Amino acid sequence: MNAGDRVRVTRADVTNEGVLMPSSTEDHLVVKLDGGYNVGIAREGADVDVLETDVYDIEDAQSEGDGTSEIEFDDDLPTVSLISTGGTIASTVDYRTGAVTAQFDAEDVLRAVPDLAGRANYRGRVVANILSENMTTDVWVDLAEAIAEEIEAGADGVVVMHGTDTMQFSASAMSFMLDTPVPIVFTGSQRSADRPSSDNVMNAVCAVEAAKADAAEVMICMHGSESDDVCALHEGTRVRKNHTSRRDAFETVGAKPLGEVDYEAEEVTFRRDYAPRGEADLALHADIESEVELVKFTPGMDPAALDYLDGKAGVIIEGTGLGHVHTDLIPRFEELVDDGTVVAMTSQCLEGRVCDRVYDTGRDLLDAGVVEAGDTLPGTAKVKLMWSLANLADPTDAMGRNLEGELTQRSVPWE
Amino acid sequence: MTEYDYDYEDLGLVAGLEIHQQLDTETKLFCGCPTDLREPDEAARTFTRFLHPTKSELGELDDAALEESRVEREFEYLAYDSTCLVEEDDEPPHRLDHEARTVAMQIAELLDMNVVDEAHVMRKLVIDGSNTSGFQRSSLIAQEGEIQTSDGPVSVVDLMLEEESAQRVEERDDGVLYSIDRLGIPLVEIGTGPDISSPEQAREAAQTIGMLLRSTGKVKRGLGTIRQDVNVSIADGARVEIKGVQALDQIDEIVRFEVGRQAELVEIRDELQSRDASVGDVADVTGVFEDSDSGVIRGALDAGGKVTAVPLYGFDGLVGRELQPDRRLGTELSDHAKRHGAGGIFHTDELPAYGVTEAEVEALREAVDAGPEDAVAIVADDPETADLAIDAVAERAEVAIEEVPEETRGANDDGTTRYLRPLPGAARMYPETDVLTVDLDPSDVETPELLTEKVDRYQAEFGLDAGLAEQVAYGRKMPLFEEAVDAGIDATFAAGLLESTLTELRRDDVPVSELTDDHLLAVMHLVEDGDLAKEGVNDVLATIAEDPSLTAEEAVEEAGLSGVSEDEVREAIAEVVERNADQVEEQGMGAFSALMGEAMGALRGKADGGVVSDVLREEIQKRA
Repeated sequence: MNAGDRVRVTRADVTNEGVLMPSSTEDHLVVKLDGGYNVGIAREGADVDVLETDVYDIEDAQSEGDGTSEIEFDDDLPTVSLISTGGTIASTVDYRTGAVTAQFDAEDVLRAVPDLAGRANYRGRVVANILSENMTTDVWVDLAEAIAEEIEAGADGVVVMHGTDTMQFSASAMSFMLDTPVPIVFTGSQRSADRPSSDNVMNAVCAVEAAKADAAEVMICMHGSESDDVCALHEGTRVRKNHTSRRDAFETVGAKPLGEVDYEAEEVTFRRDYAPRGEADLALHADIESEVELVKFTPGMDPAALDYLDGKAGVIIEGTGLGHVHTDLIPRFEELVDDGTVVAMTSQCLEGRVCDRVYDTGRDLLDAGVVEAGDTLPGTAKVKLMWSLANLADPTDAMGRNLEGELTQRSVPWE
Repeated sequence: MTEYDYDYEDLGLVAGLEIHQQLDTETKLFCGCPTDLREPDEAARTFTRFLHPTKSELGELDDAALEESRVEREFEYLAYDSTCLVEEDDEPPHRLDHEARTVAMQIAELLDMNVVDEAHVMRKLVIDGSNTSGFQRSSLIAQEGEIQTSDGPVSVVDLMLEEESAQRVEERDDGVLYSIDRLGIPLVEIGTGPDISSPEQAREAAQTIGMLLRSTGKVKRGLGTIRQDVNVSIADGARVEIKGVQALDQIDEIVRFEVGRQAELVEIRDELQSRDASVGDVADVTGVFEDSDSGVIRGALDAGGKVTAVPLYGFDGLVGRELQPDRRLGTELSDHAKRHGAGGIFHTDELPAYGVTEAEVEALREAVDAGPEDAVAIVADDPETADLAIDAVAERAEVAIEEVPEETRGANDDGTTRYLRPLPGAARMYPETDVLTVDLDPSDVETPELLTEKVDRYQAEFGLDAGLAEQVAYGRKMPLFEEAVDAGIDATFAAGLLESTLTELRRDDVPVSELTDDHLLAVMHLVEDGDLAKEGVNDVLATIAEDPSLTAEEAVEEAGLSGVSEDEVREAIAEVVERNADQVEEQGMGAFSALMGEAMGALRGKADGGVVSDVLREEIQKRA
C-alpha cells in the first residue's frame, strides 16, 4: 500500500474509497475521497484493500508543468532577469509534510504567473531554493555575483524573488555589494502562492514594471496597502518587515516609500531623487565579514550574554531610546573596542537617530569607543558593518556616515 | 405546456438535498470574531482584491473555477470593527473552533452518523470573490447517517463543517462588492443520498433535518441562515445542483420545475437529433444592423460595439420552446451569454420584436445562411463581450443536441432556476495546510433533546398546553426559555412572556428586536423576585426596547413602576375601601371584583395582582 494507490478502507461501520495520500501518519491513513475531501482514518482496526496501484503519481502532479514555457524573444521589449532564491512567492504545498516549501525555479514562476507575459523578455536563474530564514552570507555573495552576471549579459533590470522574512537584509547586502546601472528589485509574497488570493501575481508584475523603470536602485517591491491596487517601492537600506502576515508588511522607516507602482495603470512613479538608469558603471564588491553580531539590550540582560562577542570583528548594539545600554555593561563594550572589535550603536526605537551626547550613559558609551550609526536601522547596520569590515579601510568611520542611503542627513517629519 | 406535474417514478426522478445551516456560536470558525451580521453603512474600512485560479494537489484545474476566472473581476470588501485580519486573508486562520466542532458532532449524533477519526480542513476553490482567500475552508466531520420520512428512510452521506462566505452587497460592471461580516461564521453542510423520489419527500426530508438542527439550540435563525441546495436528475437527464433555495416550502416546486426542464430538454434533444440539427460558425453580422432602430442594438453599436451571430441549423421553433414557466431554451442560451458579460441574446424564434424588423431578420438569416428550418441567435455588445458571449451561446446550443448538461443552477424566487456555472469537481479541493488536523472524539458530546421531545416534556414537566409547548420548542427563544427555567423562573410565565407578550408588543409597533436575551432574562428575574408586578412587564419591556441602553431596573424606574412597598399597597387599598364604604357594608365580599379593578387602577400596575387581591380581601373582611 503506497501513496497514490486507490484503496478501500473499512473501519467500524464505515467504508471509504479513495486515493491514499502521502500525508498519512503512523496513527492515521489519509484518504482523498472522490468528492475531494481528505479524511484521516485510524490505522488501528482498519481493514485496507488496495483496489488499484499508482492511480496518481502525486510527486509529478505537484511539480508538473506542461513543460511548455517556451519563451519568445521580442526585440521591442526590455530584458528582465528573474532570479529565484526561494520563498513564498515561488512556493507550493509539500503534501508530505503539509508545509509550504519553495519548489519552483524562475521558469515555473513564469508559468505560475502568466500575467508576466508580454511585459519583458525574461532570463531566469535559480541562485538558491531556500526559505529566507535559512539565508546565509554565502548566498548573498552568490546572489550578488549572479546579479552582476545577469547585468553584464544584458539584463535591463533584475527581479529577485525572495522570502519575506529576511528580504530586507539581502536587499541591504546587495545595496552595499553592487554599483548598478539598472534597477534591482526584490519581491516576494506574504500569502502563499497556492491560494487564489496570493499577493504573488501583483507583486511579481509590479516588480517587473519597476525593473523596467528608470531608478537604478536596489529596492523592495511589495503591496503598499491591503488592497491589490498599488505596490510600494522601498529603498533597500531603509525598509523593514513590520507585520507578520499582512500584504503591506514592508514599510520604509521614517519616510514615505521611494515610489509606487500602480498595478492596473502599470505606472511607476517616484517621489524622491534616485540614481538614474545607466549612470553608474557595474561594479561588484562581494566580500563580506560574517563575524558580526547584532545585540539587543533589554532590562535585566545577563552580562554573560555578551561573553560570546569575544573576538568578533564587529558588534551592532540595538540600544534603548537615543542609544543606551545599562551603565554596568559599558566597560564590557569598552573592552571589546580595545580588543579591536568595531562597536556601533543603533536604536530599538527604529524611528529617529541615536544621539549619545545627551545623557551620561551615552557620553560614557562614546568614551568607550562606541560609534553612533545615526538613523541606520539595526538590521541594515549589521549588514553594513559586515560589508565595511571586508571592503573599507576605516569601517568605524563608515558606520557614522552614509554610504547607500542607509543613514540620512536630515530628520524630516513625515506623516 | 401548462401542466407541471409528472409521473416521477416513470421519469426516474432521483433527488438529494444539501442543507447549509449557520451555527450560532460565540466566535467564527477560524478566528475570535463574533458571528454578528452588520449593516454595510457600519463598515469601518474597505479593500479590493483580484483572484487567480490555482491547481489542486493532484495538479488539476477545476472547470468551474476556470470558467469563473475567464472574466477578470475586481472584488471590493467591506470590513467592520467586528472583523479582523483573518477574514481579510491577511492573517493565517486560527485553530478550528471548539464550540463549532462540538455542535457539529451533536448534529452528527442526531443524524445517526459516524464521526470521522481525524478531521482534515480542506480548501474548496471558490473564485467568485465570496471568500477573500479564493477558497472556502471545509472539513468532513461525519459520514453515513439516516433520517426517516413517511416515504421511507433517506440516507445522510456526509456532514461538513465549513466557513460561511461573504455577503454579496452589490453587483458591478467589473466586479462585486462583498461584506465580510458573514465570512467565517461556522456552517454545517449536510448531504443526503440520492434516495428522494418525489418533490414532497424532498420537502419532508428538509423539514426533518431542519428540526434536528434546531434541536441543538445552537443554530442561527432567520432569513438566509439556512439554505437548501437540491440535486435533481431524471433517467435521461443529468445531475443538476440547484443552489440557494431560501424557503422550505419552495423545495417541492423547485424539484417539480427542474424535472420539467430536464424532461423538455430531453424531448428537444430527441427532436434536434431527428432533424439532424447542428450549430454553424459564429459570424460578425454588424452590417445587417447598421441602421437598426432596435434600442439594444443601436446602443451597443453607438458605443463602438458589434453584433455577433450563430446559426442554429434545424433549431427553428425549439429555441422558443418553454422549459419552465416563462423560461425557454433561448433563456438557457441567454444565461450563458450573461455569464460572459452580455445583457442577453435575441433569437429568431422571438423576432421580429424589440425594434428588430422583419427585413433585418431576413437579412440576418441570409448573412449566416440560415433557412426557414433554422434559428439564429445574436448578441450585441462591446466587441470582446460580443465574441465571448456568442461563443458561449454556440457551446450551449451544441450541448442541447447531445444531452442535458450537468451544471450548477441558481434558484429564482418563482421556483424556476437559472444557469450559474459548471458542476464543481473534486479538483477544487486541496488541503488547508495552515490548520492542523483535529482528532475528533464524539464520546463526550451530549446528544441534545429533539424539539419533538421538548414539546412532550414542556407539557409533562411544566404543564404548558400543547400549542404553547410547541410554539416555545420550535420558536427562536427556546434556548432562552430553557435558560430561564433553569434559573428558577416560572415556566408558564416565561413561556407567556417569550411568546404572547413579545407578539403583543410587536403588534403595538414596539421595536422588540432591540430586546436582547439578557434584557428579557433580567425582567423575568425582577418579576420572580417580586420587584416588578407581572402587570408591569409590558411597560418595562417597551421602555427597554425604546432605549436598549437601560438596565431592567432603570427601565422599571423610567416606566414609573418602582418602589411600591406592601405598606403603600395597603394604604392605597384602604383608601379604595374607605371611598366605597357603603358598597362594602351592603355587599360584603360581593363588592370584591368591582373594588379589585379600582385598586389595580389606583396602583397602575406597580403592584402584583396577587398581593393586591390578598390585601383587598383582608380590608373588606375588616369592615364586614
